[in-house]
Amino acid sequence: MSEFLTYTIIGLVTGCIYALTASGLVVTYMTTGILNFGHGAVSMVAAFAYWQLTVEWHVPVLVALVLVVLIGAPVFGALLERLLMRPLQGKPVELQVVVTVGLLIFLLGLANLAWSPAASATRTLPRFFSGHSLKLASVFVDYHSIVVVAVAVAVAVGLRFFFSVSRTGVAMRAVVDNPDLAAMVGARPYRIAQFSWALGAALAALGGVLLAPLQGALNIDLLTLTVILAIVPAVIGRLRSLPLTVAGGLVIGLAVTYAVGYLPPNSFVAKAQTAIPMVILFLALVLLRQERLRSGRVSGMTLARAPSLARSLQAGVLFIAASVLVSELLSGVNLATATRGVVLGIAFLSLVLLTGYAGQVSLGQMTFVGTGAYAMAHLGHHGSLVGALAAMAVSGVLGAVVAVFAVRLRGLYLALSTLAFAYAMDYIFFDQHFGPYGSGLAVDRLHVPGLDTTSDKGFFVLGAVIFAVASIGLLALRRGRYGRRLAALNDSPQACATLGVNIAYTKLAVFSASAALAGLAGALYGGQQHLVTSADFQTFNSLVLLLLVLMGGKNLVSGALATAVLYALFPVLQQHVPSLSNVQYVLVGLGALTLGRYPDGLGGHMTRLRELIADRTGGQTASLTLEGDRLVGADG
Amino acid sequence: MRAEGNPQGGVVLAVAEVSVSFGGIRALHQVSLEARAGGVTGLIGPNGAGKTTLFNVITGLEKPTQGRVGLGGTDLSGMPPHRRARLGMARTFQRLEVFGSLSVRDNILTGAEFHRSWSRHADDPGSVTEEILDRIGLRAVADLRVDAIPTGMARLVELGRALATRPRLLLLDEPGSGLDENESEELGRLLVDLGEAGMAVLLVEHDVDLVMRISERVFVLDFGRIIASGSSSEVQANPDVRAAYLGTQPADVDDPSGPGGGGA
Repeated sequence: MSEFLTYTIIGLVTGCIYALTASGLVVTYMTTGILNFGHGAVSMVAAFAYWQLTVEWHVPVLVALVLVVLIGAPVFGALLERLLMRPLQGKPVELQVVVTVGLLIFLLGLANLAWSPAASATRTLPRFFSGHSLKLASVFVDYHSIVVVAVAVAVAVGLRFFFSVSRTGVAMRAVVDNPDLAAMVGARPYRIAQFSWALGAALAALGGVLLAPLQGALNIDLLTLTVILAIVPAVIGRLRSLPLTVAGGLVIGLAVTYAVGYLPPNSFVAKAQTAIPMVILFLALVLLRQERLRSGRVSGMTLARAPSLARSLQAGVLFIAASVLVSELLSGVNLATATRGVVLGIAFLSLVLLTGYAGQVSLGQMTFVGTGAYAMAHLGHHGSLVGALAAMAVSGVLGAVVAVFAVRLRGLYLALSTLAFAYAMDYIFFDQHFGPYGSGLAVDRLHVPGLDTTSDKGFFVLGAVIFAVASIGLLALRRGRYGRRLAALNDSPQACATLGVNIAYTKLAVFSASAALAGLAGALYGGQQHLVTSADFQTFNSLVLLLLVLMGGKNLVSGALATAVLYALFPVLQQHVPSLSNVQYVLVGLGALTLGRYPDGLGGHMTRLRELIADRTGGQTASLTLEGDRLVGADG
Repeated sequence: MRAEGNPQGGVVLAVAEVSVSFGGIRALHQVSLEARAGGVTGLIGPNGAGKTTLFNVITGLEKPTQGRVGLGGTDLSGMPPHRRARLGMARTFQRLEVFGSLSVRDNILTGAEFHRSWSRHADDPGSVTEEILDRIGLRAVADLRVDAIPTGMARLVELGRALATRPRLLLLDEPGSGLDENESEELGRLLVDLGEAGMAVLLVEHDVDLVMRISERVFVLDFGRIIASGSSSEVQANPDVRAAYLGTQPADVDDPSGPGGGGA
């Protein structure tokens, strides 16, 4: 009985922290429609800042709390809204997702620079009223836990009061229901959005400060990941309802604690229980009431035209010739990096198809790369082609299975369901089947007649050829009937449905095809690495992957290659210049943050530059928009 | 009940006592109407009367709380939008739903290709597209991206795209807004032609003159209820309609554009 009581209390305390941080997510989502994936990182930075102030600089606790929770975090939140989130309003979901993912990566990189993980064991935060506890029935409860519960209750009551009584709170609710109307009656949406980001950041900081002492030594990743789980209760609350969110938080807290306490302590369960919140997230999403079809949107993107078949063939041949040359020039680590670049480039292409062409967001693409590597490891002995085909089949089928559940969801909810799937796979599959504790899974190199793929040169050329073929195939698809269908689906699913298109089927097909391509990339990636570990395919990498594809220009084959090579360079940079190891994340984060203002990425800049040059030289490729304007003038 | 300029064709669309409520608000209340083959049926009403909601119910984008929709005798209840479309209905949208990243030609071509993908007797999408480009008069802008052309033209693109699926029922949600007088005149002629070719056209339009001129029969929707129906002249003479909708501009109503309008 006392055991049960202990677990219940621990579960409730954890649940209170989830409830607190999830409320922050809901508040910002309600008013701006943006789910902040960087929320957990804000909590983490706040906890570290609080540690820095109280432990290192001996600032009194109350002063530090005011500085971090009531001043620092709200100002940071307000700045975020002003600089990053405002240009994102009404932009496609994938952009909103990656910009906040960029924030996450940026803050992670920054924290790693400021507080080196090497010294992490020495950083501990004392609990509030450390040493004091209360006897409740047969169990001792420390004061810190009581503080957590009291703060959570106070915040929940306070928010409820705020939204029902105060002027600003009521205006915030009005903004949710109808921004235009709210603007007309005098509530200023921007001001309200800014306030809500300040409030959201303050709640994140409060959660971080309360959570950190419970976790022992401060750990950047653990703190961030724990708070990221706040997405689960927020979705249970439909990203709108604070009472449901709080209830969701408590449910997650209790479920996780009871699982730890009562499930048999074997290694599978130990790993799998970590996936519980994500399984709950997946269920919550699938059981969500079906939304109405989203209506079309102004894309506002300069989509580069797909080059003609002749030109893409030309480029493909040039690319292969260049890679043969490169294979002669490079060796050792450099050649391995180049190989990783082209092979990962194929995985990037799978997102060009899914997100760039069809407008569907996957936050778990690396999972399909991983299952491809797994299939190759088991069925591709001595580089048998069967392995590569199985990699495509396994990942393709898995993609279709996910899609069966996910396609009825749209936008953010679809993205979150892929995220939940990927997270669950991390713990249930990758951590179990890729060797205990990172020992890895050996993968043979795909063998093709006529090419010595056991040599690094040969394998690089094989990767380059497959990348070129996949690119030419994608471009051909985009120019054709199927490409128009995907563009139409992206532009207006509603119109497609009323023209007789079975949208669910079309989405399922493109999900499956994209996953199959990712699976092929995985088979090759495994061969390149020889030994793959679960770390290669973690969800975090999926987020980075999407981010980089968007940075390259989401519908550009060339952009995918450029950012894939960049991605392949990360580990090399880290090896040679250890001090750079986090700068790269700060830079990538910063790059992603600019996407709010320049949604076309690098590719968009290149396209505009080309058009500018063509304009200057009197070429015929003047932008369509300009022609359109002239036409209006002439016609009207 | 039946209009004098008796419609030639049979009932294609039958809406029977459809009600829709959002939360506690009733958007449509016991709405019944029909559209016949071989002519234009007009649907008018003030802003917020529920016209677009009715279109959404007919095409399956919204579920009615009550009532049924039938197409050519088939009950459409519970059918998803794409299956309704495959039975021969197509629509345009008041808030544009064009494929903005595609050219004008590709918008129509895509419609024709969709048709080909689910219909056994569809013509070659390419030639259908060229024919429609001429018909809606957008050949000059065929290669422009649709998000770069004026709204009025984009509405015509939606019309062309809908025509590319060769529907027997065409639902048009304010196709004339954004067009100048000449263009809307031309639109009227096109719709009459489509009717004469055997199509059933249900037209929602703010330009009451246009509706009255070309419709065989007109339904008036106000606050979610049908308050009048009949030939143009009958509707124009109806005191309820004058009070609820046209009352603000009696001059327009009294100006007779000929009894029965341009009915064939």
